[in-house]
Amino acid sequence: MPKSLFEKVWDAHEVEALPGGNALVFVDRVVAHEITTPQGALEIERRYDDVLFDPKRIVAINDHVSPAKDMETAIQAKVLRDWAKRHGIALYDIGSNGICHVVAPERGYVEPGMTLACGDSHTCTLGAFGAFALGVGSTAQGGAMLAQCLVLARPKVMRITLTGHLQQGATAKDLALTVVGTLGFKGGTGYVLEYAGEALASMSMDERMTLCNMAIEAGATTGMVPPDETTFSYLRGRENQPTGDAFEAKVDAWRALRPDAGAAYDREIAIDVSALRPMVSWGTNPGESVPIDGVVPADADAASLRYMDLEPGRALRTIELDQAFIGSCTNSRISDLRAAAEVLRGHTVSIPTIVTPGSQAVKRAAEREGLHDVFQDAGALWTHSSCGPCLGMSMGVLAPGARCISSTNRNFPGRMGTGGRVHLASPAVVAASAILGRIASPSEIFQHGASAPLGAIGGHAAPIFQHGASAPLGAIGGHAAPISKEASAPLGAIGGHAAPIFQHGASAPLGAIGGHAAPISE
Amino acid sequence: MNVRGNVLPLDRANVDTDQIIPAHYLTGIETTGLGKHLFTGMTGGPELLAAHPDASIVVARENFGCGSSREHAAWSLADRGFRAVIAPSFARIFFENAYNNGIAPIVIEDAHIARLLEAKSLEIDLEAEAVTLPDGSTLRFELDPLRKEFLLSGGYMAFLARKRAAVRAWLERRDSSVLPDAKETRFSTSM
Repeated sequence: MPKSLFEKVWDAHEVEALPGGNALVFVDRVVAHEITTPQGALEIERRYDDVLFDPKRIVAINDHVSPAKDMETAIQAKVLRDWAKRHGIALYDIGSNGICHVVAPERGYVEPGMTLACGDSHTCTLGAFGAFALGVGSTAQGGAMLAQCLVLARPKVMRITLTGHLQQGATAKDLALTVVGTLGFKGGTGYVLEYAGEALASMSMDERMTLCNMAIEAGATTGMVPPDETTFSYLRGRENQPTGDAFEAKVDAWRALRPDAGAAYDREIAIDVSALRPMVSWGTNPGESVPIDGVVPADADAASLRYMDLEPGRALRTIELDQAFIGSCTNSRISDLRAAAEVLRGHTVSIPTIVTPGSQAVKRAAEREGLHDVFQDAGALWTHSSCGPCLGMSMGVLAPGARCISSTNRNFPGRMGTGGRVHLASPAVVAASAILGRIASPSEIFQHGASAPLGAIGGHAAPIFQHGASAPLGAIGGHAAPISKEASAPLGAIGGHAAPIFQHGASAPLGAIGGHAAPISE
Repeated sequence: MNVRGNVLPLDRANVDTDQIIPAHYLTGIETTGLGKHLFTGMTGGPELLAAHPDASIVVARENFGCGSSREHAAWSLADRGFRAVIAPSFARIFFENAYNNGIAPIVIEDAHIARLLEAKSLEIDLEAEAVTLPDGSTLRFELDPLRKEFLLSGGYMAFLARKRAAVRAWLERRDSSVLPDAKETRFSTSM
């Protein structure tokens, strides 16, 4: 009987069938973060003698608010940290952490054919590896730590065939928004979205993660991409994966996960990705998105329009903005940062703009390429890694009525702050919009070259750092390049001061992660 | 087991978890005391709750509980005394979370929702899977037979605890053709 990728993975993990079409499904890996793990961990401690099924199948990551913003979040982080240490659970914490859906794969904890659960709806991101990875509640995650299983109703499978190839200017984010728009906000409910088609072959792991990340926004259980050479190359040599023959033996097994010819699917759709244009959301769910050159639809939902203070027919590119954000589990990996930097290089943002790398490893990789200089030259804030402003939980919260263009995944009412308005887009579109202060396409920036509108801060139009852009930081090996006078001199340009901050900066070490850097692919 | 109570009429679709409880209230480590934050992310939410102070049954439109996995959505409803949510459809994770926290997620087709929204109170028989309106008419619904046990006995974790031996036995005989070294736990602590 020919099987889909999903069926192969599910069937290899079904421990027993349960009443009502449910099944007890084995979970190879649990990813645990500080917001949703403590409740289940405490329940196990209080009622089940603190015995976990297999602590080595768990990886703990302080990610949502790290470092803590206040006493309550400090307690959450401490509970996770102490629990992980008590059980010998791998822990990524301040200095080595980031968004769990970015850290887990870059550290080699996600692989084809695996089942993975986490108390976070965007766990579907990890289906990019050909894993069955899904978000669950705290109780279900607790159960997966107690008995290494989930109780799940077997989902249906929808094959989404991607034909053609992404054209210049169109990104995986635009594809993800198109999928959600095509299926509708709940059109994927009850399904696993199994991707297929020629467009996948040329998509990087970063792009596949962006695509799968938004499966939940269509209500789907998860997304899955069949593993191929791109997947194997990403994992080869990664920490927490074996090396040499042992790794190649795994690759041979992973090849068998390709969906069989003739596999049956409950529903099939096809999307021609060649026709994709940059997409931007106008409404209050991710399905309410249109091409950037478009207008707010005539049949737009009245409640969405009211919340967003928009009217049908309004051209998206005339919508003015108060803030821009590049980050989140959708778009905070190194290729996302490169795409944003390409647009921002030599320009200045005209609205408050926050750039948050998805992990400390991504941050260091970006800094080795000088991307942090590009962002800061442009007047953007370059932060530590975290979930950041995406969910209005810590930094960068929107004021009521404030309008933000964001590379994130949710534009729900109040998502980034009560009363705040969110427009979802790719990192490149966010970057272009940050420069022009309204929803804008990167092509508008590239057309105008270096003379696009500059300098909102105090009326200055010159790049703030004239010489800083090329200074490489944080070489592999844990040693930091000296911070040169040249690079730091122009700091404090606002107010007219230009005094160097570190005159003898050569000894300033920049935090090594365990003495070696994780490989960042792409 | 019966749930007899007043209705909170939530005549809207896609009530997402950020509206049910915004993320900035997710800073605790316990499952209790979250009722005061319920629907504070929803325009008009607190006012609606204030107008129906003793409501214990939510009636809403399709795709209730979409968005994040935060069980805080179910905890905040339970803490506020809600025992059931009636809607034409639910998001998967909220659906599971509701069952695990003593809140019945009751699926009733959209054609009947208007009548239910107008009802001041309802009587729900969870065993018999029927809801009775004030005019005496009855609507049938179906609960997941397994999760109904969790609902009535509060036993998701207890159910899994009882499965541990079976899971270990399964792991011993696991077909390793797909994951050649799945029995190994080779993962190291990197810190």
